[in-house]
Amino acid sequence: MKAKILFPLLAAATPLLLTGCGTNAHYVKTGDKEQIISTSQINIQDYATAASLSVQKLLATSAIDKVANPPALIEISRIINNTSQQVDTDLLTKKISIALLQSGRAVTKTVDPLAASYQQQTSPAGTRVPDFTLSGKIIQTVDSAGDTKRTTYSFQLSLNDTRAGVQVWEDEEEIGKQGTRATVGF
Amino acid sequence: MKTSKYLVLALAAGAVALAGCSTATVNSVENTQKVGQPYYINDTRVVTDNSLAKSVALVAVNTITTPAGFLKVQVQVKNRTSSHKSFLYRFDWFDINGMQVKNIVSATIPDQIEGGETKFIAGVAPNPDCKDFRLNFIGAK
Repeated sequence: MKAKILFPLLAAATPLLLTGCGTNAHYVKTGDKEQIISTSQINIQDYATAASLSVQKLLATSAIDKVANPPALIEISRIINNTSQQVDTDLLTKKISIALLQSGRAVTKTVDPLAASYQQQTSPAGTRVPDFTLSGKIIQTVDSAGDTKRTTYSFQLSLNDTRAGVQVWEDEEEIGKQGTRATVGF
Repeated sequence: MKTSKYLVLALAAGAVALAGCSTATVNSVENTQKVGQPYYINDTRVVTDNSLAKSVALVAVNTITTPAGFLKVQVQVKNRTSSHKSFLYRFDWFDINGMQVKNIVSATIPDQIEGGETKFIAGVAPNPDCKDFRLNFIGAK
């Protein structure tokens, strides 16, 4: 009698358990609650967080307004990758560059050989010297205790005045993640 | 005999569970006679997650316009529970016509607040045309 009741219950539960083990592919939004969080690498939402917080501080400062011919011309310089992984730093700098352009307070410049050759033809007298350069560094620090690993990624940015040769604005955003394994969902 | 055995086991499990859940809350001190004069604004609140509204309770909202004409918003929140809480927040920005301006400054940012802690969340508009804002809070695990 007992077996008669248990068997259908088990039969009904098995498919539920099997379907619960995986998820079908679906579209997700960067920064949503389903994001994958891993301690061993910089996740896409980490670039967005660092860029967003840094850009807001840059927009709040008046440093980029102190130029002779506004809007300021900022050349996006080198971002040094001091992490253990291969990083495309455009994931950080492009977001910052877009936000600066949309703010109307600065125009940005990156090294583009084709654009430079056209520029030499159209205005041979010389190119405008950038008012500022934006450089930075991404640093990874790892601490562990037993199976638990804590990784902190420091996103450092410096805005350098090309005429004075000094930093007029700097920022550091730290993104720390801790756990024993990667997880899905914040 | 059996009952007392179960009782001891239950008490031990309870103690372990409580120890695992215990969190440090935040004590603080600040100057009473404030020098700064924040410009607090009236706000409209929509609560759909009551649990989150206790952990990340809105205290006040103040704004300034930066010298370059950018709206800066500072929201004071307080954790009215004794537990640490993780959450996500996102600023939405709107121009004079009520149109949303999407930009990296509207990224979803992860944040945490300790039990009893009061903290500030700040946002700067992506351009001087943005006159209105909405701050969204999303609860996390």
